[in-house]
This record gives sequence, C-alpha cells and structure tokens, in this order.
Amino acid sequence: MTAVILDGIVLGLQFGLLGVGLTVVYGIGGVLNLAYGQLAVVAAIVMSITMRSGLATGPAVLAGISAAVAIALLLNFTILKPVYKRDDEDRVLLSLLLTIGVAFIIDGFLVWRYPIEALSLNIDWDPVSILGVRMRAGSLLASAITLLAGGALIFFFRTTTTGKAARSVIQDEVGARLCGVNPAAVRTLIFALSGVLAGLFATTQAMTSPVPISAGFDFTITALLVTVVGGLGSIRGAFLAGLILGVVNAMSSFYIGSYVTTIILLAAAALTIVVRPSGLFGAKA
Amino acid sequence: MTADERPVSEQSANHPPPGTISRESSRRTFLAIAAAGLALALVPIWIGGSRTLMGVAITGLLFASYAIAFNLIFGSTNQLFLAVGALAGVGAYTSAIISDRLGVPFPLTMVLASGLSMFIGGAFSWIAVRRSLGIIFTGIITLTFSLAFDNLLLGQRGLTGGETGIVVDAGSDTFLRNQIPPYYVFLILVLIYLIGYVLLHRSHIGWAFRALRDDEIAAELTGINVARYRIYAGAIGGGMLGFAGALWAHVEGFISPATFTFVHVDVPALVMLVFGGIGTVLGPVVGAAVFTYLGEVLASYSQLRLIADGILLIVLFLAFPQGVIRALGLRLNQLRASRKAAP
Amino acid sequence: MLEVSNLSAGYDAKAVVLDVSVNVREGEAVAIIGSNGAGKTTLLRAICGLLPVSSGNVQYAGTSITNLAVHEIARSGIAFVPAQRHLFPEMTVAENLALGAFPHRPDPDQHALVLDLFPRLAERRHQAAGTMSGGEQQMLAVGRALMANPQLLILDEPTTGLAPRLAAQAYESLAALRGQGMTILVAEQQVPLVLGIADRGYVLENGEIQLEGLASDLRGNPTVQRAYLGVV
Repeated sequence: MTAVILDGIVLGLQFGLLGVGLTVVYGIGGVLNLAYGQLAVVAAIVMSITMRSGLATGPAVLAGISAAVAIALLLNFTILKPVYKRDDEDRVLLSLLLTIGVAFIIDGFLVWRYPIEALSLNIDWDPVSILGVRMRAGSLLASAITLLAGGALIFFFRTTTTGKAARSVIQDEVGARLCGVNPAAVRTLIFALSGVLAGLFATTQAMTSPVPISAGFDFTITALLVTVVGGLGSIRGAFLAGLILGVVNAMSSFYIGSYVTTIILLAAAALTIVVRPSGLFGAKA
Repeated sequence: MTADERPVSEQSANHPPPGTISRESSRRTFLAIAAAGLALALVPIWIGGSRTLMGVAITGLLFASYAIAFNLIFGSTNQLFLAVGALAGVGAYTSAIISDRLGVPFPLTMVLASGLSMFIGGAFSWIAVRRSLGIIFTGIITLTFSLAFDNLLLGQRGLTGGETGIVVDAGSDTFLRNQIPPYYVFLILVLIYLIGYVLLHRSHIGWAFRALRDDEIAAELTGINVARYRIYAGAIGGGMLGFAGALWAHVEGFISPATFTFVHVDVPALVMLVFGGIGTVLGPVVGAAVFTYLGEVLASYSQLRLIADGILLIVLFLAFPQGVIRALGLRLNQLRASRKAAP
Repeated sequence: MLEVSNLSAGYDAKAVVLDVSVNVREGEAVAIIGSNGAGKTTLLRAICGLLPVSSGNVQYAGTSITNLAVHEIARSGIAFVPAQRHLFPEMTVAENLALGAFPHRPDPDQHALVLDLFPRLAERRHQAAGTMSGGEQQMLAVGRALMANPQLLILDEPTTGLAPRLAAQAYESLAALRGQGMTILVAEQQVPLVLGIADRGYVLENGEIQLEGLASDLRGNPTVQRAYLGVV
C-alpha cells in the first residue's frame, strides 16, 4: 500500500510538471497545445538517438530539451501567428485544431522514420529505503528533478519581475499591456518554458519506464486531465491535480489493472467538472 | 483575453449560418441529395469487380455517415465531440458482442447498440451544458473518452479480444457479406442520414439550432432552451454514429480497436467535414468521397498518411479560418465582454 | 505635450469618433465630457493603442505614437486607467503596484508617493486586489498607473461604479496630483466633479467635438449647464 502510494506520488509529481507546461501556455497564450505530448516524445527520441550515436547522457538530455524548445518556438512563430489574431474561445478552438494537425505530423514522421525508437534512462544506483519501501534510484532521481523544477517554477512566477509579468498576462491581458508588458514576448518565453518542461518530463519518465514514440497523445491527454482537474491556467492546481491523479493512477492500475486507469481518470475529471467547473483552483495562477 | 476591446454589437455579422435550410431551397436540397445518391449508386458499375475496391468504397460511405453525424453535433450545435470513433466503436462492439454471445438477432442488437451510443452522446452533452462548459471542455472530455474506450477494449480481452479484435459471426449468413449489396445498404443509410439531417434542420429543432449558433445568448433570452437542443444533437448524433459502427461490424465480420481510434476515425472525419464544409448538407459526403479516393490513389504512400492528414488539417483551418470559425458561430466573446464590464 | 489631430477611430468599419482634435499641454488637467456613448472611451482607447486609429495622428512629446503597441505607449510615459480598471485580481496590492513599474524595479520614492496619496493601499498591501471594494480598486488602479512615474495620466470615467462620496474622494486625489504638477487627461460623465479640477475641457457628443474652452467658461456655458449641470 505504502509502496503503491509512493509510486503514485513519483508519477503524480511528473504529471504535475507536464500539466504546468500545458496550463501556462493556455493561460498566457490562450492556446491549447494538443501537440504538447509530442514535444516530450520528440525530446525523448532526440535523447535516445544522440545517446546511441555516442553522446553522453547529460549533453543528450540537453539536446532533447533543446529540440522540444525549438519545436515549441517554431509553433509559436509560425502556425500559431494567425491564432493570436483571434480572441477567447475562437482562439483556443483554432489552436486546438491546428495543433492536432501538428501532433499528427510529428507522430507520422516518427512512425515513418523511427518506428521502434524508445528512450530508457537506466539509473543503476542502489535502491534507497523510504518508509520501509525500497525505492528505485530512478524514481527518486526523477522525483528530485521534478521537485527542483517545480520549486524553480514557483520561484520564477512568484518573485521575478518577468514571472510576475507572465502571471499578470494570465490574469488580465489588457491590464498587463497597460503596465508596459508585451504579451507577445511573454508568450514566446512561456512557449520556450513549456518546451523545457516537456523535455524534463520526458527525461524523468524515461528514468522510471520507457518512452516510446507512440506516447504523445497519452501524454497530452494526461496533461489535459491534470489541467482540467487543477483548473485551466492554475500552476498550483496543476501540481495538486497531478499528485491526486498520480496516486489514483498508481492505485487503480495496481488493484484493478492498468487499462481502467484512463477510465478512472476520466471519471475523476468529469466529476471535477460537474462539481467544480473551474477546477480546484479556478482559472487564474 | 481582449474581448472588451470590441463592442458587443459588431461581431455577429449578417452571415446566415451555413446549417440553415430555408423551405424554398429545400426542394433543391432534396434534388441534390438524390443526384448524389444516384452518382454514388453507379460506383459499383465502375469498380464492382474488385472485392478490395468495393471494400474501400464501403469504408468511404461509413466515413460519410460518420461525417454527417459529426456535422450534426459539431456543425449544428458547436459541440466538439472528439469521440466519433469511440461512439461508433461502442455501437460496433456492443452489437457484435450481444448478438454473438447471447444469440440475439443482430438487427435488434444494432438498435440496442445505437441506443447505448445515443445515451453516451447525450450524456456528454448533458455534462457539458449542465455546467455551461465551453467547447474546449467538451473536446477534452470526449477526447479522454476516446482514449479510455481504447484502453477498455485492450484491457477487457475476454470480451473484446484485446488488440487482435473479434470475429463477428452475426450477419455472416446474409447478403451483408456479399461483395456489392452491403455497399447499397450503406448508401441507403447515408441517404437516410442526409434526409434526416435536412428534415431536422427544417423542423423547429432546426430553428433552435440556427438561433443557438447565430447568437447563443440571444437564443437563450428568447426562450430557446439551448441546453436541451445541445443534448438532442449529442444524442441523435451519438445514435447515428453507433448505428453506423454496428452496421459496419456485421458487414465486415471483424472489428478491432484500431478501427475506432481517434487517429483513424476522428481526424479523418474532421478533415473530410472541414474540407466539404462544416454545416453544409452534402459537404460531409463530398469530403468523404474525395478523401477516400485520394487515400486509395495514394495507398502506396500510406505510411505518410498521418503526416498528410496533419498537414491537411492545418492547411484547411488556416486557409479557411473565416469560413470555419464563422461556421462555428461562437459568440462567447460577448458573454465575456459583458461579464468583464460588470464592476 | 499630447496632440491629437483629426483622429477617427471605431470598431470594424464604423467610426465612433470622427475627426477629433484634442491637445494637452504640460502641467494641465484637461477634461473630456459627454454623455454615455458619446465616444469618450473610444477616443482614449485609440490614443493609448487599445483600438486602431483609422485616420489622423497622435503626437506625444514631439513624436508620433499613432498605432504603436499598447505596451510601447505605456513605456513612453503615458499611463492609462481604464474604466474597468483591469487590475490583476489574484495578485496582492503590492504585486499590482510593482507591476505598474514594469519593466523596471519599483522606484521607492514613487512607491512612497503613491502610498502617501492613498494610505488605504498601504493597509491593504497583502490583500488580493480582486477582494477589495470598488473605491479601493479605483485607488489601486490609479496607484498602479502612477508607479511608472508617468508624464501624462489618462483616466476613463474614474468614478465608474463609485458611490457619490467615493467619487468625490477620487477627484480630491486627482486634484492633489494636479497640485503636484501631473498632466492629466480625464473623460467623465459627472461633469461638475471633473470641471472642478480641470483647466480646460472638450465637449464630445456623437463622436465629434461640439465645444471646447476653459473649464470656467464651460461651467458658464448655457448649453453645458442645461445638458450636464442640471441647470434649467
């Protein structure tokens, strides 16, 4: 039982990180990026390929994250340009439909060129005992990286001027512009950040289980569920929802079978929507 | 975001929503449907000798019926159901399993199965409208359902055969397994769906759809129960998808999860619908015909199919954003504007 | 300091303000008065870049700022307080004020000046902006605008949603600012209040300037008296 919950927490932290990457882009850009999971997969595949060709793990991880950032920025500067000319729900809808297209292009390319590629990062340190449970070093390292990233995110959004400017755009874009904040610049930064988070997620996932090329939509849907449960645009909410869904996920796959986890997660999300339409933490950061 | 920069009045331009069918033009609409039906009826003369090509043509009609149902849900009432494949799959698996396991005659199980899809479709709409969720939430919930359904199929091996799928016995001793007749059965289904679509839009429900798309808030103010009509559309569309899926299961004699995934059904259906024209009567059929034909011509490049679908989706939505977005008739900006203006 | 010449602006193709010219000299308080829907908000939004200028020109401190991006205009020294205030509801008063100084770090002197003008904001510094009363939000909106140390303060209907007593207080603080030498352009329906602090005024009706002159002359003008001052 403790072991299952601990596993759930390890997973949940990563879900949270993934959710934050999606939710900040939604909050700031008004863009629901359905190719977000594919960013993580691209990062993983770049890591896998570069490592196979002899690159050390560290540089390979950097290369993978850079690839995810590059694609995120490319989207921001190309096909999402027309999206930014629209407002509100029109904007979200168009972005959603266009990024489904992007997801297909990426998936199609990967299936075509690298059909059997997958990333595993084996951390062969000794297991560590926590609360009487032997935890694999990979899980612990993954959690440590995620917590560190989460802490860095909170520091960035709470204390730095740029981070505050980013939150101001989420809360009131007109107000932010009147304060001299350039939403387009903030958006670019946040897209790059979402790429970093997708890359980090790929890294930590690969420490606990392999990341295959087909994982893109699963990642996206997990991130969407985290976002819906936590509240669109909420960073705190994403982490909390990630933890909850991670534990639910670990428990349902342990006690019933992994195939029902999506159904239980869906039910959890549907329940949240019916009970609290704006999620655990409303629509703001 | 910047909704309050725009005045409330200027956004609903004087474009009639494309789903609208006036009584004067409805005769022409029926003539067009008849012409399309006639043209499609001639297809077997051309390719009827090839079992493979007939199979492709039947799949084309299957997608046409998906696209018509999707058009009713998404085109007429702005509900982004990303569970077209899953709802059809619910119909297919339910009908196949009940008829084969319990020995219930398959025409009856097809009706039962589409009833279940109808219920699920209506339930999505109910959840969405109950909390006045935006189109985005409907999309997220239905997309998750697609994935959940897929996982359920893979997990419940005993019932569904898991990844390998199941052979459907019911229907195997009927004309549905011949080379050409099932094509006409599907063609009749498509024509029924089209006529149903037109009749529905001519009825008072159609007037409500029009009002709802043109200006949701105004529709509500004039006493139209927007929620109810959304649920109607979700349920009817869901039932149509379930029935088409069930029919296909008995015609094909074999179903597997791959047949109903988001990737293989929803995205092609979306591409077909957008290409043909959201909210138009024959658009879904035209889109299905064009892309089925293209898919066959380019069959040797099938590994690039995913990429092609992705590019098409982007190009279609970027090249006709006005058409697409107008057709959606979203007026949410106004709601936000009036909310923000309130101190 | 601010020179608006022959400006037309509106929504889509329809011009809401037509061929309007307004100028504001340094150290002056200028009022734009007119009834609801006269085009006051449209005019101010066009000046601040929130709406495209379809024709005409806006000059500020000798350079054209016509159709610059909102944030560029904001950084050039013009602070705009819209009627809806556009505060950051989930951030504290302190954070809202700090963002007013963006992209720079808040200047302590300016901060002290704002808190001096609105002591209430100091008491509420850790409260979320969205939870404050209308009057306090109004103070915060003006305070946030002042944090950038602007050369020109533009306000749209600063009394929106305020009870008469609070509306009068809002104008007292504007009078205090004017006393400190701040250049102010303010659009207002509550004409007696605004003419109390303004040096000059423009009467805007149906999107066009109907009348302009010294505030004292406007107060004495029979048309103004009948339309806006309740004098029969």
